[in-house]
This record gives sequence, C-alpha cells and structure tokens, in this order.
Amino acid sequence: MSTAFETNGLGKRYGRTWALRDCSLRVPAGRIAALVGPNGAGKSTLLHLVVGLLRPDAGTVQVLGETPAANRALLDRVGFVAQDAPLYRDFTATDLLTMCGKLNRRWDAALARERLGHLRIPFDRPVGKLSGGQRAQVALTLALAKRPELLLLDEPVAGLDPLARREFLQTLMGSVAEEGTTVVLSSHLLGDLERVCDYLILLQAAHVQVLGSVDDLLAGHRVLIGPRRAEAKVPGSVVHASHTDKQSTLLVRTNGQPIHDPAWTVHSVTLEDLVLAYLADASAGALPGPVGIEVTR
Amino acid sequence: MTWLTWRQHRKQFLFAIIGLAVLAAVLVPTGRSQYRAFDGSGLAACLRTMGETIDYRLADTDCHEPLERFSAEYSGDFAPAVLLIFLPLLVGLFFGAPMVAREVERGTHRLVWTQGTTRLRWAVTKFGLVGAGALLLAAAYAALASWWLYPIAVAHAGRFDYLAFDVQGIAPVGYTVFTVALGTFAGTVWQKVLPAMALTLVGFVGARVAVELARPNFLPPVERRFPVVAYTFPNPMLSDWILDRNVYDASGQVIVPGGDVFCDPPCPEYDPAAYNVHLYQPAGRFWLFQFIEAGLFVALAASLLALAVYRVRRRIA
Repeated sequence: MSTAFETNGLGKRYGRTWALRDCSLRVPAGRIAALVGPNGAGKSTLLHLVVGLLRPDAGTVQVLGETPAANRALLDRVGFVAQDAPLYRDFTATDLLTMCGKLNRRWDAALARERLGHLRIPFDRPVGKLSGGQRAQVALTLALAKRPELLLLDEPVAGLDPLARREFLQTLMGSVAEEGTTVVLSSHLLGDLERVCDYLILLQAAHVQVLGSVDDLLAGHRVLIGPRRAEAKVPGSVVHASHTDKQSTLLVRTNGQPIHDPAWTVHSVTLEDLVLAYLADASAGALPGPVGIEVTR
Repeated sequence: MTWLTWRQHRKQFLFAIIGLAVLAAVLVPTGRSQYRAFDGSGLAACLRTMGETIDYRLADTDCHEPLERFSAEYSGDFAPAVLLIFLPLLVGLFFGAPMVAREVERGTHRLVWTQGTTRLRWAVTKFGLVGAGALLLAAAYAALASWWLYPIAVAHAGRFDYLAFDVQGIAPVGYTVFTVALGTFAGTVWQKVLPAMALTLVGFVGARVAVELARPNFLPPVERRFPVVAYTFPNPMLSDWILDRNVYDASGQVIVPGGDVFCDPPCPEYDPAAYNVHLYQPAGRFWLFQFIEAGLFVALAASLLALAVYRVRRRIA
C-alpha cells in the first residue's frame, strides 16, 4: 500500500520546548485519519511540518514521496485548511476563488463554484460576513478545488455548532470518497471524527502514543469486567484500569489473544473508550513498531 | 500573485492617492502664489545673476531689496515642511508594517503559503509591488514638496539646511523606501500590526536622527578664510551649508566664536589682519549629498527587505 506521508524521528522545538519529539509514523494513502490529542499535544505542529509551513529541527518528513519545505510542486498536490479556517475577510468567495485559481496550477474552478453553489454560499459577500460554518465550507472548498492527493484539516469543526459539524463532515466525506483522497483531520475531541475516520494518530505531550488502523486497534483491545482484584493476570497489557468496591474494569491491549479466564466478561471497545484510556495514562502506548525508512542524519 | 497583491492593497493605494490629491490641493495654490511673489519681487532674477561674492561698494549684490519685498509676503514659514517630514513615516506605517504582520495576525499566511506558490515568490511580488507603489507615491510628493519649498528655501536658510534638505529632491524617496522596508521587517519580527508600527516609528526616528548627525561629514567640509575688514565677502545667498564659523585675530586667537564679521574699511574696531573662517559644504554639493543620503537609506532598505524575505521563508509558520 502506498504512503501518503511518513515521518521518522521528526521533532520541532520552540526555544527549549519540544512541540513534537521523536515522531515516527506512516499514514497509508487513501485513509481518513483522525489526529487526536489534548490541546498542546503537537497536532498543529505535525500538520504544519507535513504541509511545509515549518521545517523540522530533527528527523525527516516525506509527503507523497517528497520533502515538503519550500516545495511548490508538492503544494499543488496537498490541500490544507489551517485552524480557524483563515480567509481574507474582506474578500468575497469569488475573490478567493480567483486568488486560488491564480496561485495553483492544479485548480478545478468548476468544482469550486459548483460546491459553493450547492451549499448556497453567496459569492458576492465578503466572507467576513458569512457564518462560521459557511466560512469553514469556503475554506474547505478552496482546499478541495486543488484536487489534492492529501488533504489536511486542522480542527476543521472546532468553531461550529453540532449541526454544522455533522454537515461539514458529511459534505467532506462526499467530496473525497470518489477521489480516494487521503485526509487527516485533527481534533482534541474524538467524538466529531469517530464516524468518519478509519485511521488513528494519537498524540500526547509531543509524542505519538497510538497509531494504526481503527479496525486493527478495535480488534486488538478489549474491555474486561470482573470481580475486583489487586493484580490482574490477563494476556496482553493493561492500558487503563478502574476499580469500584466490587469490580474492576480493565481496558486491555490483547493483540488478538483470546481471554480464557471465565472470571472476566469480555466486551469490545469503542474508539472513544480506547482514546480516553490511552490519554489517561501517558506512559501506555500502542505503536506498530519501527516504520519504513532509515533516519538519515 | 500580482492580482492578489493588487486586490489586497488597492484600498490603501486609493487612500494614498486621495491623500496626495489633498496635499496637492494645499501646496499647488500656495506654491503658485509663492512663485508669483518670487518672480514679481525680482528675487528670482537677482539670484540667477548674483556672483560668488558680494561687494558693498556696488549696488545690491546680495539681492537685499528683492528679498525684502519677497519676505514681506512670505516670512519663511517652514511649518508645513515639518508635516512633509512625516510623509515617509506615514507610508511606512500603513504600507510596510501591515504587509506581513497583518497576515500572521489573522492567520491568512497559512492560507496563502499553502497554495501552489513559494513564499519567496509571494514575498518578492508583494514587497516589490507595494514597494514600487510607495516609491511612485514618494516621487510624487517629493517632486511637489521640492517645487513648493524652493523659493522659501533659497530666500532663507538655504536648500542645504535641516528640514529643507529633508523634504526636497530624492532624499524623501529614500526615506520612504526605507520606512516601508523597515515596517515590513518589523512585521516579520513582531508579528502584530500595532507593535510592528511602533517598531517602525522608533526605527524611523532613530535612523533619521543618526543620519542627520552624520550628514555634515558625508564629505570633508571645505574651509574658506576671508578678512573681516574688506569690501567683498562670500555671498550669503549661495545656499552654502556653513557648519562652523569663527573670527580670528592676527595671532590665530578666536575673537568671535560662532559668528562672522564683515566691516567696511576703514574699520577702527577690528585689526585689519583679523579674518573669518568658515567650515562649509558648498551649495554645489546639494545633489551629491542628496544621492548619498538617498543611497544610504535605499541600501538600508535593501538589507531590511532581504532579512524580511529570509524571515518569511524560514522563521514564520
């Protein structure tokens, strides 16, 4: 399977603080990846490194087989919507379409106009006067009309109400489904992304904590409920344990091993449970092992 | 990129044109009446024919009478020139400081820098076009101010004097290009519009004061000696920039510091061997000094723009 982007030992530092450190991951092409983590975990930094806004202080990043920094050819193939969907607020949608049409060699003007028309977004009003949801849609349209192979969205639904969130994600999925575009959506809340994503990148405290396809992750973890025990012997590793007076609830990384102990009732996990369990314990991790290319220094 | 730059800055440019029109509406009528008095008083004709020296035995070699007539109408009021000094600053504040700072402040740099263009091209086109616009604007107001100020300047302290030098010729163009570059650079360092404007203001004042202090020494000043007791003296209407003047006695002691003395013979108050010494920049160096001044500021502007481009490419995200 081809790779949309791949990082190796990637790090970015602001002064003495590492915003992202020793980040090695690979996102296969065609995935809809959720980039999840608490505020300040390094999500935006990772996206900015991938799109070439930032240059790495350590390690490497390869996007669609190329190095992103100052790479105009690559920028034609990558769509990016930054946090808060920044737009020139005194520009009309028509102005923005003209701008992007002139700046990009790959630009589907018909698609952009059709999409905005379909969403009933006025073409001749300054976008600063549109609603937050409409502005997010305009920003997404600008990114989609590049017909990108990789689409990166930084907290695209953060400022939207629940209805607008759902609508945004629905229209996004409708747009990328046919093209097979790889999408990375960041959010500090998984709830928004759970329905649409099939790949998970969990960042915490500047490190990658969990990485993998959602199906594999769900298959590799189980929730066990049973009588309270101090030291539970279970196959695999316990990610998170919570106890009441009588019973213990464990989220366990089983890696597919069956649980034979009849004392436990075994349940499958939801993606949200899994994410919350890992977020609660920064030392736990689920990584698929070293990836891809050698780190060259 | 050209279209985007025009679309982003057309409003600023329109306001600038309106400002220029307002300035012209003030300066053109007052300038015209000034020139009428300048010609009508005979001062213009007299200045054209006067010599290097004046001779008190001859009639009016220092254009005294036409100057009186001209001054009766125009008393050498430089007040508007003080405002002209600040035009380059205004352009720098409103064209330069927001150039990068506003983009970063509003996050739109992340929109435009992730389109299919490089930041180098973005910076070069934007800085280049806005800079060129500012340059044209500066050329227009410098030409207007030079024309307007000329009669008052030559009638009074001279074109070389502080204030007069700074609003004429090509120096204001140099200041403007510099201030726009400074504003742009400030915006890449402190990426908010208001602080970038504050940095621009401080930098403009600092650089202008520093160069103002250095200007008398752009070239070594010329010295001239002439006797106190004589009929002929250097013509004070030549617009020479006299940096230092003293009167010495025969033994080389200063007898009048910071002044000069002319005395028709016979002159009992002064020793016939007493002499004046002027250290000065000759009026003929006016344009040379203009080129040095403008060149200095253009060179500073070029370095600041190069730094700004570097910061845009490497230091901002």
